[in-house]
Amino acid sequence: MERTQQHRQVAHMRQSLFDQGLLDEQFVQLEELQDDANPNFVEEVVTLFYRDSARLVLNIDQALDKSPLDFSKLDSYMHQFKGSASSIGAKKVKSECTLFREYCKAGNGEGCMKTFQQLKKDYAVLRKKLETYFQMARQVGPVETACRRK
Amino acid sequence: MGFGKATSSSKAMKIIETEKKISVLIVEDDPLIQKIHKVMMTKFGTEVQVVANGKEAVDLYHSGASFDLILMDFEMPIMDGFEATKELRSMGVTSMIVGVTSRSQDSEIQAFMKSGLNACYVKPLNAEKVTTVLNELKNN
Repeated sequence: MERTQQHRQVAHMRQSLFDQGLLDEQFVQLEELQDDANPNFVEEVVTLFYRDSARLVLNIDQALDKSPLDFSKLDSYMHQFKGSASSIGAKKVKSECTLFREYCKAGNGEGCMKTFQQLKKDYAVLRKKLETYFQMARQVGPVETACRRK
Repeated sequence: MGFGKATSSSKAMKIIETEKKISVLIVEDDPLIQKIHKVMMTKFGTEVQVVANGKEAVDLYHSGASFDLILMDFEMPIMDGFEATKELRSMGVTSMIVGVTSRSQDSEIQAFMKSGLNACYVKPLNAEKVTTVLNELKNN
């Protein structure tokens, strides 16, 4: 029974990520690619995203420190970042990328900086929540195990 | 690891059975997209090879390799998807070439199509898009 309760908690945690607008359908697509041949696929993809995007975050931070701002360069970095965020279904981060790019097109440096500060916060929050989720999911094991009769 | 219930798109993810496996070349510089698309295409029962830019794709064909389907990214270093597709078509390559791009403006997609693509999709690929592509390939 306890196991079932744990599984419900994991499922609830997962659902909350969608309900809070942090994840979208692309995350479900990744889950559907996970199988016995790739048992940790989703976590691997998310880990790869955070590893690769760290460089982009640094590039954008450095570019925002320069004066005058190179909006074309900023837009290019954010285009890459948005592509990666879309690939893991990071819905909120993706929409902030879009907003940032709109500020770039408008040449609005302050808008870019404010949006990027918020984006970094949401990027970090998502990372923490996904790490917690993956850890819990690993601890409780697959759903089939919970249902197996003794 | 426990995950959510399968959705209707998982039912759409049927493995397309052919006598010979469909061969797919993924031309993509982003390691994250490479991983996702490779696993996705493998799950659809295709045989997959991955290269990191357009020049590597062209070089493969020059060396005598051939694929049923090429998934061609647009922005890549050394040789981008537009140039690689143009080059492959000028070599007489008749493989199905599907553009996969993060550019979503119609004008950008139309411009990429002019290189000689059979179709073009905005990233990321999903089960529905892959099913459409593979069914079209099978029917042709």
